[in-house]
Amino acid sequence: MIEVNHISKDFVAPKKYPGLKGAIKGLFSNEKITKTAVDDISFTIEKGEIVGYIGSNGAGKSTTIKMMTGILTPTRGTCTVAGINPSQNRRENAQNIGVVFGQRTQLWWDLPLSESFTILKEIYNVSDEDFKEQMEFLNRVLELQEFFDRPVRTLSLGQRMRADLGAALLHNPKVLYLDEPTIGLDLVVKDNIRKAIKEINEKYQTTVILTTHDIGDIEELCSRIIMIDEGKKIYDGSLENLKDIYGTTKTVSMEVRSPEKVKELALHLPEILGVKEEDCRVTFHKENNVLGVTFDKHKLQVPQILSAVMDVMEIKDVQIQETELAEIVKEIYRHGMTEEEG
Amino acid sequence: MNTWKRYLRLYRILITQFLKTIMQSKVDFLMGLLGFFFNQILGIAFLYLVFEQIPSLQGWTLDQLIFIYGFAQIPRGIDHLFTDNIWLVAWRLVINGDFDRYMLRPMNIFFQVIAEKLQPDALGELLVGTILVVSSLSKGIVITDALHAALFVVSIFAGAVIYTSIKLFFAALAFWIKISGPFLQVAYEMADFAKYPTEIYAKGIRFLITWVIPFAFVAYLPASFFLKTGTSAWVIGVECGIAVVFWCIAYAVFNRGTHVYESAGN
Amino acid sequence: MKKSLRIYLPFVSNELKRQMAYKGAFYLFILISLFGSFISYYLWMAIYGSSDQAVIGGMSRNEMVVYVFMVYVTSSIVTISISDWVSDDVVKGTVAMNLIKPIDYRFSLISRALGDMIYRFLAPGVFIWIGLEIYKVTVLGMAPVTVGGVFLYLLSCVMSFLIYVLFDFCFGMIAFFTTYIFGLQLAKDALLSFLTGQLIPISFFPEAVQRIFDFLPFSSMVYTPVMIYLGKYTGETLWFMLLRQAAWVVILYVLGSLIWKKVTKRLVVLGG
Repeated sequence: MIEVNHISKDFVAPKKYPGLKGAIKGLFSNEKITKTAVDDISFTIEKGEIVGYIGSNGAGKSTTIKMMTGILTPTRGTCTVAGINPSQNRRENAQNIGVVFGQRTQLWWDLPLSESFTILKEIYNVSDEDFKEQMEFLNRVLELQEFFDRPVRTLSLGQRMRADLGAALLHNPKVLYLDEPTIGLDLVVKDNIRKAIKEINEKYQTTVILTTHDIGDIEELCSRIIMIDEGKKIYDGSLENLKDIYGTTKTVSMEVRSPEKVKELALHLPEILGVKEEDCRVTFHKENNVLGVTFDKHKLQVPQILSAVMDVMEIKDVQIQETELAEIVKEIYRHGMTEEEG
Repeated sequence: MNTWKRYLRLYRILITQFLKTIMQSKVDFLMGLLGFFFNQILGIAFLYLVFEQIPSLQGWTLDQLIFIYGFAQIPRGIDHLFTDNIWLVAWRLVINGDFDRYMLRPMNIFFQVIAEKLQPDALGELLVGTILVVSSLSKGIVITDALHAALFVVSIFAGAVIYTSIKLFFAALAFWIKISGPFLQVAYEMADFAKYPTEIYAKGIRFLITWVIPFAFVAYLPASFFLKTGTSAWVIGVECGIAVVFWCIAYAVFNRGTHVYESAGN
Repeated sequence: MKKSLRIYLPFVSNELKRQMAYKGAFYLFILISLFGSFISYYLWMAIYGSSDQAVIGGMSRNEMVVYVFMVYVTSSIVTISISDWVSDDVVKGTVAMNLIKPIDYRFSLISRALGDMIYRFLAPGVFIWIGLEIYKVTVLGMAPVTVGGVFLYLLSCVMSFLIYVLFDFCFGMIAFFTTYIFGLQLAKDALLSFLTGQLIPISFFPEAVQRIFDFLPFSSMVYTPVMIYLGKYTGETLWFMLLRQAAWVVILYVLGSLIWKKVTKRLVVLGG
C-alpha cells in the first residue's frame, strides 16, 4: 500500500545570532544552515497494517508523514501511496488518504460540526448513499451525535479529536495518517479513540500509520513499529521482537536485613554467579534497605540470584520486574544520543 | 464540466457559510466598510482642496481626475472582495503551517485559498468607485457608446485579474522566504501611483508602474480611454494581454511554490 | 524614581530587537512609506507647474519639497500605533495579566513605542533628513537649518510623539468593546493623515476649518514640528505652539487615565 524508497528531506534556514548585537549582525549576514530532518529512510507497509511510527521530538516523524501525505516534497528518494506519488499527484492522493493532526484541526472553526461534514462531502465528492452509510457508521463508532450541531470551537479536546477522526474518514480513505491522535486526552477518551481506530481498521482494512508518544497507543494498536531517531530509521519490526531484543533485562528488588554486608556482596556477586559485570548490575537504596539486581534474562535465572544473596543475608521481601516498553524506548533514545556525543 | 459544477457548488457552500459567520458580527462589518470608504473619500477631498488653488493639473480637470480616481477603485474593489485571503498566505499560513490543510484536500489549492473568504470591506471601495464613476456620467466627460460600455466591463475584469496576479505572485514568494507580506505590501501600495495621471512622475517610476508592476493598466490608462481624450482602444487590448501573461506567471510561481512548501514545526 | 523607570527599559530594548529581527520587512516598510511621499512630491510639482502663482497656501515650491519629506521623517517617528498592540493584547487576553504585574500598562506601551521611535529615527529617519538637507542646500539653494532650529524641531517632535501615543492609547481602548478594530484603524489613519497635515498642509484648508482645527490635538502631532522646522513660526507664535503641544500632552494624559480606570473596572467586573 505504501512504499517509501530512500526518502530524505533537507531544510535550509538562515543562521541566527543571539542578543541585540546578534540582531544587528543578522541584518547584514546571509549564512545558511542545512538540516537533514529525514535521512534516507525506506520501508513498505501492506494493506490493513497498523504501524506505529515513533521517535523523540524532532526525530523526523512529522516530516515523513507530511511527505507521505503530499504536503512536503522529498529532497531525495520517492514514495508511493496506493500506487500514487503524493507530491506529483497531490489531488489523487488526497482522495485516498485521511489525516488527523492532533494539534491542528481540519474542521471549520466557527461552523457547526454538521456543516463541516456537509462541506467535506462536497470536497471529497462523496455520493449521497455513501455519505449516509458512512455517517451512520461514524456516529456509532465515534458517537458524534451528542455534539453534531455545535460549533467546532466549543468542543472539548476529546470531542474535537473524535470529530476530526470522523472528518478524516468520511470519504473512506485507503490510508489513515494519525499524528499524535491521543495527545492531551484523558484515559477514557483515549480508550474510545483506540477502539474506534481498531474497528475502522477491521471493517475497511484501512491502513493506519500513527505517530505517538503514548506507549499505550502502540501496545494496544500496533502490530508493527518503525522507530526513527535523528532522521534515521533505527528499528522496523514487531513489538514482541523489540521487547526481545532490547527488553532482555529483568530486575529483582529485595528488601534485606543486613545492609552492612551489602557492599561486600555487591562487589563479588557477578563472580559468584559466574557472569560478566555488565550482565548483573547491583543497586542499593539505603532508606528502605532495598537491594536491586538487574540482569540479562538469557544468562541468569531469578532463583540463582536469590540463593546467592540468601547465602549471605536474610531477605524480607522480593519483587520482580520485566522491563516495560516505555523503558525500552527511553533506553533506545538515550543510547542514540550518547552515541552522537561520543 | 462536472468538475466545474462541483467547484461552483462548493464555492457557493463555502461562501454561504462564511457569510453566516460574518453576519454574526455586523458591527465589525460596518466598521470595515466605513474604514475603506473613508480612506477613498479623503483622497477626493485632497483633490478638491488642491483645485481650490489651481484651475487644472497638467491639462486634467478636477472632474476628469475624479473619474480616474473612481475608476481605479472598481477593479481594486473586485479583487479585494474575492481574493483577500491571499494576504494570509503571504503573512501567516505558510510560516505557521496552516497551509497544510489546503495540501490535504483533493481540490485545486488556489481555489481553496480564495473560496475561504469574501472581504466585505471591499464594498467600501466599490461603493466609492461606483458613485464617482456614475456621477461622472452626468458631467458629459465620459464616452458612453455601446463599444465603450462593453470594453468598460472587459477592462474592469482584466484589471481585477492583474491585481489578483500581482498579489498571488508576491504571496507565493512566502513558500521560499516564509513571510512575503512586506513584499506584497510594497507591490500592492504601488497601485496608489496609478490613481493619478502617470505623466506627472519621473520616467523611471512611470516605466515601473506601466510595465513592471503594471498598475497603470488597471487605472489611469484604461480610465483615460473612457474619457474624451482620444486614447486608442488598443489600451484595453494591451490590458487584457498583460492580465493573461501576469496570471500565467503568477499561477506558475504559486504552483511551483506549493512543491517547495516546508510546512511548520522544523 | 530612577529605579522604577528602569523596569521599563526592557520594553524599549525588546522592541528595538524585535524590529531588527525582521530585516527584510524593515527595509521594505521604509520603501512603502516613502511611496506616499514620492507620490505627493510629484503631485505637488505638477500642481506648482500648473499654477501661475509662486506661493500656494503660504508655501513656495521649494518649501513644499521640504514639507513633504519632513512630514515623512516626522510622522515616521511620531505616529507609532500602540492601539495595534492594545488590540493584540485584548484579543490574546494578556491585558488582564498585565494588570497583575507591578507595572503601569500604558507606560509599558509608551516605553515600547519609544524603542520603536528610536529605531525609526536611526533608520531611516535621520538619513532621509540628512539627504533632504543636502538636497535642499545644493539643489534647491536654500539655507541649511540652524542648530537652534534642529533643537526646537526635536523638542516639538518629542511632544508630538507623546501626543500621538497618548491619543492612540485612548483610541486603543475601543478594542475592549469590539474585536475587529482593523476597519476603525484604517479610518483613523486616513482621517489623521488628513487632520495632522500629512496629506496636505493645514494652510490649504478654508479659514473656518482651520479655526476648528485649532481646538483639536491633531495639528500638534505632525504639522507643528514641520512648520517649526521650516521656520514658519517665530517669536511669540513659536512659544505659543510649543505651549499648546505641552497642554495637549497633559490633557490627553489625564483623559487616558480616566478612560483606563473605567475600562479596567469593567474588565474586573467582566473578568475578561
